[in-house]
Amino acid sequence: MTDLGNIALWIALLIGVWGSAVAFLGGRRGRSDLARSAERAAYVVWGLLLVATAGLLKALLTHDFNVEYVASYTSRNLPVWYTWSAFYAGQKGSLLLWAVVVATFGAAALLVNRGRHRELMPYVAGVVLVVVSFFVAVMLFAANPFERLGFTPPDGNGLNPQLQNPGMTIHPPMLYLGYTSITIPFAFAVAALISGRLDTGWLHAIRKWTLLSWLFLSAGVVLGMWWAYVELGWGGYWAWDPVENASLLPWLTMTAFLHSVMIQEKRGMLKRWNVGLVIGSFLLSIFGTFITRSGVISSVHSFTQSRVGYFFLIFLVLSAAVAFALLAYRWPRLEAESKLESVASREAAFLFNNLIFIVIAFSVLWGTLFPILSEWLRGTKVTVGPPFFNQVNVPLGLLLLLLTGIGPLIAWRRASPANLRRQFLAPALATLVVAAALVAIRMSDGWAIVAYALGAFVTATVAQEFVRGTGARHRLHREPYPLALVRLVGRNRRRYGGYVVHLGMVMLFAGFAGLAFKSDTEATLKPGQSVEVRSPYGHTYRITHQGVSQYERLNRFVSAASVDVFRDGRYLGVMKSEKRQHTDSFGRPTFEPSTEVAIRSDVREDLYIVYAGSVQGTEEAVYRITVNPLVWWVWYGGVVLVLGALITMWPGGGGPTPASLRRVEPAGYVAQVA
Amino acid sequence: MSHRSLSVALLLAASGAMAQTPGPRPPSTDSVGRLAAPGAVQSRERVTARDNDLLVKAIEGRMRCTCGCNLDVFTCRTTDFTCTTSPAMHRLVLARLDSALTPDQVVAAFEAQYGQAVLMAPPKRGFNWAAYLMPFAGLGAGLVVLGLVMRRWVRARPKPSPEPAGEAAGATAQELERLRRELERIES
Repeated sequence: MTDLGNIALWIALLIGVWGSAVAFLGGRRGRSDLARSAERAAYVVWGLLLVATAGLLKALLTHDFNVEYVASYTSRNLPVWYTWSAFYAGQKGSLLLWAVVVATFGAAALLVNRGRHRELMPYVAGVVLVVVSFFVAVMLFAANPFERLGFTPPDGNGLNPQLQNPGMTIHPPMLYLGYTSITIPFAFAVAALISGRLDTGWLHAIRKWTLLSWLFLSAGVVLGMWWAYVELGWGGYWAWDPVENASLLPWLTMTAFLHSVMIQEKRGMLKRWNVGLVIGSFLLSIFGTFITRSGVISSVHSFTQSRVGYFFLIFLVLSAAVAFALLAYRWPRLEAESKLESVASREAAFLFNNLIFIVIAFSVLWGTLFPILSEWLRGTKVTVGPPFFNQVNVPLGLLLLLLTGIGPLIAWRRASPANLRRQFLAPALATLVVAAALVAIRMSDGWAIVAYALGAFVTATVAQEFVRGTGARHRLHREPYPLALVRLVGRNRRRYGGYVVHLGMVMLFAGFAGLAFKSDTEATLKPGQSVEVRSPYGHTYRITHQGVSQYERLNRFVSAASVDVFRDGRYLGVMKSEKRQHTDSFGRPTFEPSTEVAIRSDVREDLYIVYAGSVQGTEEAVYRITVNPLVWWVWYGGVVLVLGALITMWPGGGGPTPASLRRVEPAGYVAQVA
Repeated sequence: MSHRSLSVALLLAASGAMAQTPGPRPPSTDSVGRLAAPGAVQSRERVTARDNDLLVKAIEGRMRCTCGCNLDVFTCRTTDFTCTTSPAMHRLVLARLDSALTPDQVVAAFEAQYGQAVLMAPPKRGFNWAAYLMPFAGLGAGLVVLGLVMRRWVRARPKPSPEPAGEAAGATAQELERLRRELERIES
């Protein structure tokens, strides 16, 4: 089956190259036979990559340790659930996942649009096939997951213990889905540029794809934060690591696009900007892959350094050159259809919002690359870590939060003073009340006060919209309030789903601001001894060490340290943090002992306990105890964010607006011949 | 403990992955039970009051552990329990504070020893200012460009129609009802 997988990759490469060539030729010459051949090639490549995927999965599940990849990332005693995650734990397998997911999305896009956008589809097929062929070529020439060893080891190395976590079974696939699905909007953008079909038709075709991509990226980023929090044991969830930054960059540009595209649909403006954002998002997704795989920047998340990075760098440069050359070529035809009427308008608010998104993306990219620049220009190594990113991005993020409240409520075209007063009086009052209350209770962090006050502002704007909309339906249709609310959201999912996303963002910001009040305490405790820790809310936690128990479990030897936890004298329960020594099927240790954190989470704060080790091999344990306020809000903020995106995407509501539909030109000649 | 567990424990105890080689039991741990497999757990020194000192934490938060983990010294020494670099850097911080250096002098001494890369953020001097200023320069440039574009757009916009704004106020009930239906249709 592995040999079949390898052969499937070679055939996929050949058909991919053929398909992409005939796709562009077919599109250029208006030859529907070539266009159809290209589309069929895309389906065949997808099928072949499924065969390759099945081949690697079979090798993993049957412990075929003669395959180098299987021996490197699995062992006989690795639970089946994590054997699946070994599929993308290493460089080679993750490349196959990339390729198969892009091919799947590509095939789905072609299938969904088989009767539509006929002038665009040959080029869409062509771009998808170029991207898929690139990934297949990288595998075949630099990182083949089916490469065999000269011998068959009795057992494999096993999977890194930090990857043996439920978060790692979901987080990387989500991010991959997010990264790879950007290929589809990119393919449509390039198709629109090549074909000259620059009306809003291509935007309608990619609307669901961009939302889907954004949804996966959002879920992937939040799940990655959750994994880092529960598994890495450092008490935080975002370290501004280059690989984390790489996942944030396309998210920022995609979010900017989701806002600016509304202006194009509604007013026919920002056409160049929108194409640029889609191209930029795709390039940033490739850049993220380059960062993760090249070893050019050191990161805890990186794959092993390899020559794969050069392939990605060349692909990145070529993709950028071709895409921006096409944009330059079509520049005159992407003139705005209307002009801005006032700075006090929704268009202007969205423009500012886009500016802030792009500046944040730039600052993240700049900070990520600055160490390379410094070493290159001056020969001086520098570190750009969280203090830098927080200093630069906190004010920008808060500015963005302010615009999150202003954008959706301010009128299109021109807001009158009466409109501004009607929309913003109550939210402004809410902001002032919250800010005054926080100052009154002597909250010590200025940025946190601003964050919570602006959070109140955005929440009030969203609540006001829901209240007014529900009230209007209740009055007009005499519907009970709950039904009116459901129908309000159901009839305009795009708008109200967007509001829900904004509420999710407020929750995330509330959680981020809580980090300002985080506290860490280290303690050494013998069984029966206690330590007291103060929370920022004024509670006192008493933590009493019970002892350390050791036992064998699945593929590891566990040392579990247990504590009794009391808050203000009230017993809360037992918390258990572990040290895990993973072993192979012969009982030999495979990795350094890893740590499992004990977390007690509620809406106010997390109590986060790490068993750091023991004093001289006894039950006298060293703990790090962290009180982390409002972390709950980050995870549930992520859930609300995803929920909002799902509401927006749900079929049957929130399609293109009438204004946007008016901007679609009638189909051209290919529609007749296809 | 099962037979197999015990063998795993013994293997662990004998393996090179051991965090320590248990020596004779010191008197201070007499009242504390020994672990069956001490090698399965990292060996740690007892925490002192100074390990929790906020000043020490703040200094260590400004410095990067040189083991290559990308974490600051405080986070590394309280997270990566296999690292020997961050505990050594911690001891050096304490020693330098004991020799009457101020926090800034302690950080400067580390910078002199390891170079700028030991700092978690580039020091604000010389070329490093570019790191801090570029994002805000980008914001400023973006605002200027946006301002100019907006001004051009606003000036170029078509003149508003001469109809008086208050026309709708004189609409009939039927007209208002029709408007309501139209708005509702567009909304849905």
